[in-house]
Amino acid sequence: MLKYVIKRILLMFVTFFIIATMCFVLIKLLPLPNAKAQGRDINLVLEKRKQMGYDKPILTQYAIYWKNIFNFGSNGSKGWSPDFGIGEQMYISQSVFDVIKEKLPYTIVVNLYSILIAVPIGVLLGIYAALRKNRWQDHFVSTAVMLVVSVPSYVYAFLVQYFLCFKTGWFPLTVASRETATFFSWVMFVSMFPAVLSLCFGTIARLCRFTRAELSEVLTGDYLLLARTKGLTKNQAITRHALRNAMVPILPMILGEFIGILSGSLIIEGIFGIPGIGKLYITSIQLRDYNFFMALTFFYTLIGLVANLVVDLSYGFIDPRIKMGAK
Amino acid sequence: MSFKKLMALVLSLAMIVSLAACGKNTNNTTSATATPTPASGDQTPTPTESANPVSGITDLSIVKEADGTIFAGSLSAKKEQGGGGVVGYDVYTGNGSKDFTDEKFYTFNDFITDTSTLNWSPLSWETSDDSYVLTYISSGYYDFALNSTKDGWSVVCELAEKLPEDVTKDYVGKYGIVEGETAKAWKIKLREDLKWDDGTAINADTFVYSAKELLDPIMLNRRADSLYAGDFAIYNAKAYVYSGKMSWEANSADGENATVAFDAKVKGNDGVYTTPDGAKLYFGLKTGYAWMQGKSLTDYKAYFPAGVYEALEAKADGEGYIPVTDETIAKLHEFTGIDDWGNETEEDLVYYMSYQKANAETKWEDVGFFKTGDYEIVMVTINPTSDPNYFVPYNLSSAYLVKPDLWEACKTYRDSNKQEVSKDSADIASITSTYGTSVETSASFGPYKLTFFQADKQLTFDRNDNWYGYKDGNHKGQYQADRISVQVLAQHATQLLAFLKGEIDNVGLQSEDMKTYGTSPYIRYTPQSYTTKITFNTDKASLEKRGTQVLANENFRHAYSLAIDRAKFATSYTSAGTAGFGLLNSMYIYDPFSGASYRDTDGAMGALVGLYGLKFGEGAEYGDLEEAYDAITGFNINEAREYMKKAYDECIADKSYDGTSKVEIEMLVYQSDDIYVQMFNFLNDALKAACEGTGFEGKVSLKMTVDADYYNTMYSGNTDMIFSTWGGAASAPYTILYECYCDDSTGAKNQMEYGFDTSKVNVKIKIDDVDYVASLQKWALWADDSDPTCKITSADGSKTLDGFSAYDAMTRANIYGLLEKTYLSSFVTIPMYYRNSASLVSQKGDYPITQYIDLINFGGIRFYTFKYTDEEWEKIASTLTY
Repeated sequence: MLKYVIKRILLMFVTFFIIATMCFVLIKLLPLPNAKAQGRDINLVLEKRKQMGYDKPILTQYAIYWKNIFNFGSNGSKGWSPDFGIGEQMYISQSVFDVIKEKLPYTIVVNLYSILIAVPIGVLLGIYAALRKNRWQDHFVSTAVMLVVSVPSYVYAFLVQYFLCFKTGWFPLTVASRETATFFSWVMFVSMFPAVLSLCFGTIARLCRFTRAELSEVLTGDYLLLARTKGLTKNQAITRHALRNAMVPILPMILGEFIGILSGSLIIEGIFGIPGIGKLYITSIQLRDYNFFMALTFFYTLIGLVANLVVDLSYGFIDPRIKMGAK
Repeated sequence: MSFKKLMALVLSLAMIVSLAACGKNTNNTTSATATPTPASGDQTPTPTESANPVSGITDLSIVKEADGTIFAGSLSAKKEQGGGGVVGYDVYTGNGSKDFTDEKFYTFNDFITDTSTLNWSPLSWETSDDSYVLTYISSGYYDFALNSTKDGWSVVCELAEKLPEDVTKDYVGKYGIVEGETAKAWKIKLREDLKWDDGTAINADTFVYSAKELLDPIMLNRRADSLYAGDFAIYNAKAYVYSGKMSWEANSADGENATVAFDAKVKGNDGVYTTPDGAKLYFGLKTGYAWMQGKSLTDYKAYFPAGVYEALEAKADGEGYIPVTDETIAKLHEFTGIDDWGNETEEDLVYYMSYQKANAETKWEDVGFFKTGDYEIVMVTINPTSDPNYFVPYNLSSAYLVKPDLWEACKTYRDSNKQEVSKDSADIASITSTYGTSVETSASFGPYKLTFFQADKQLTFDRNDNWYGYKDGNHKGQYQADRISVQVLAQHATQLLAFLKGEIDNVGLQSEDMKTYGTSPYIRYTPQSYTTKITFNTDKASLEKRGTQVLANENFRHAYSLAIDRAKFATSYTSAGTAGFGLLNSMYIYDPFSGASYRDTDGAMGALVGLYGLKFGEGAEYGDLEEAYDAITGFNINEAREYMKKAYDECIADKSYDGTSKVEIEMLVYQSDDIYVQMFNFLNDALKAACEGTGFEGKVSLKMTVDADYYNTMYSGNTDMIFSTWGGAASAPYTILYECYCDDSTGAKNQMEYGFDTSKVNVKIKIDDVDYVASLQKWALWADDSDPTCKITSADGSKTLDGFSAYDAMTRANIYGLLEKTYLSSFVTIPMYYRNSASLVSQKGDYPITQYIDLINFGGIRFYTFKYTDEEWEKIASTLTY
């Protein structure tokens, strides 16, 4: 097992490096924004770009980028002080790392709240629908799920904002700023709730549908019949055998949802004024801010690779029959 | 928002399509008795000679003479007398005691849409949101404020104690000033009570320090060109920025004259040729040369004989420069000497050469910006300032001022590998600054100071108690707002709900909002200086490759122009736009002293009446010029079909169309939003309608392609048509024609009308009975007034016109009208609509005026007064309707 994990981690770093290299080369191959649109003196823009090293060969730029990340002891710092660069086209001259660090908590907290609410509701609804399969309760839940899955989340966001924030005035229109509330205060939580609610719908629907499907299949298994013939009650059979087996594919899905919370939501964050990272990645591509793009690429790639590893390893913990690395 | 307007000398692209509708401003101030003009579209009309007592314009038609010269019209000219008009200094005194002395607490709530690029450093700000922040935390030397009669603006002194004094004569022999010159050196007496928000004093040293930092050769601040571009360029400011740097120079800047002739080059010991001064010569593989209309050899890679390009490329450095040697001369001539390339001689290779030039060292002491006392500075400009009573305060309506200790603390020094180095390092390759990116890195010298900032969320400004204006007695009746609270709201729906809840005090409206709020008494219309047009690629070579050569036919484009109902387009698909017919709309002021609109002058009205072929005068459909101008629609489908028939016959005759093929003209749009699809469908229908009953019927149509980078695609000639939008400073109408429409037909500069080479369009204008002939590009450059060497001479060469600014405001407007008409008569661009925006203002307070005035908008935060305190507003806000 340990050998398998070490092998996976090593492979993860190789994959990470390949993805990072590809992304760096690809973004550098995109043409820069038109210098003409950026000022009267085009030479000023072009000269500035030279200062940023844009005229150097791409691989040289890439080497400089890595060199600054493995920044040992320079600038009077002790030990490793990675330098992800500064904003060159957005958040001008500000540390890329600091900007992401400041914005990430909003994205994480809003999405975490939504996951914490959505997972139990989604799983329970799925179980309920599976246990009431082909009855009106199942049809009702399934129809509702289809409706929710078919409509984009921003539609709910607008509806939630209009009815719960504007019409009734129960919640503020947008998330509170740090000028009026501290991060983990009640005021902040209340202001985040409409966004959390909007994000919940999709997760609830996806989990419900998946749980229902998995559990329905498991409930028809022969071993459940055996369990019942052994004298277990229906509830005992479901909780001890059916649910446990159904959870094998469901749990990784929940893990995936947790990982997804880090990516943020471009539209939901825009609607509710959440100063998160949802928009950063696409803006960095649009503006060709290479430092932001690469830092976010590192972040998302690492998250994705770690998530895959964790999910793979989790199978073994959930179901001991699955042996990691065994031939 | 006056800062925003005052900073607007930079012409900026606007790619957004507005969404609503409003009435057209036809506030004409002049009338005319003119003569009927020939029918629209007549290719060889006879000009009618009849005097116009108001403008001196005697005909409105466009006439193409036998040699292809365009006769644009005739006029009589008057010279400027006495250096322009006089600005007013009487300022609106406000609404009683509703000003900063009011003891109750008032908050003005506003919003912006994004802060990802926000940076309010006075030396490197970029966007309108940046300047919005600076509006509150900075002041200009001078400002424009609502006048006492509330119908215009007055100049007010802010950082300066009094109006600038012309001290040119004191500097004769220095800073390029020669005896007899005036209006080039300006002494500004500063207030002695200027302070930063923390109480630190500001004096002349602060101004000089800031100017020096602005022009820092290593920092390369984005706003550096504010001191060396435009009409108020400071002497040696640009030279200081580029001091001691190497720059690439083309051996022939104009494609006609070479700095180093072929025989004058000198062969070095290494076999590389140099200039007589010893600078190595290079062929620029990737460099755009005037000889090739700005294109590079790489652009013609496909035409090189096999292996030639590759052989040259192998000898090029990273930037594509190839040392000029006997070998590379021979190799490049293998291409330039072929028949298809024009069988050029080896001597012609000088037009493909470049060399590196070392810019001379310029000391700060040689820059025309210095102090002459503790509270006195002098600025020396390269060119004399025309209309100094207006343009000097205008150009000094902002101040690039940084707090020295904070500015230094915000600097980061890096080497060429982007690693931080110390301030004293010899390896400093770049300096960046975080000044103006947070509360801690901000310093205010304006009426408010930044007290809270959270990126992408919130900005809060509170009153800056150290601002002189609260103590000097000159700002009574102003700045009642105690706090400015600015939210970041990205989505329009959220903005509108926030407004209706009373959380923000104004909101922009989109076209779908107009059904609900179009008749609201709280709606305000803001005209913008932008005109949105359809712009065509008319370059025959590139159109031929695309199979859309019909677009090169002028009658085809003329027909299309006549087939478009601009009024319907503007009301259907824009927020508050109005049908557009000219390059400039009614925002542009031709006389800064009266504030009168260029579009309302006889010359400008006559240009469009002539262009669209309306007749006026005795026996004609319209009584006078104004009536004819008001009747312009630009839409006549029957006439459009007549032109389309002509176009068809011509295209068949010159074989640019075979009579049977389907022609799909590509139109690039920014995105695939519903509104773009609707606009595309409208234009496609208009084209099909124009083709009905002609040989093109059923064969010509548009196809839509989404391209977010559509401007650049047009600049490379790789499409057929786009929407284009240009606008600029409303008080500087005469720069647009050259800088946006005539500077380069190959996409190398601003002009988007790819292939329309205005240097080859000869234009004749009769001024005071003398024919003056020059290319349209040269006329436009002359009117731009930026190049003192640009002269317009008479056809016989005996007379030369004075500089454009030497003529009075009306003459300038009349000449410009003729040039605008000439440009539009080629139909390489078709004006569609003038952009306006509509917004709702809250009932929390009032602006002093409801009609927009350029430079001061509706009075700005300076004169905004509140009806409710914050507490009162909280209770009542959500109960109000709009």
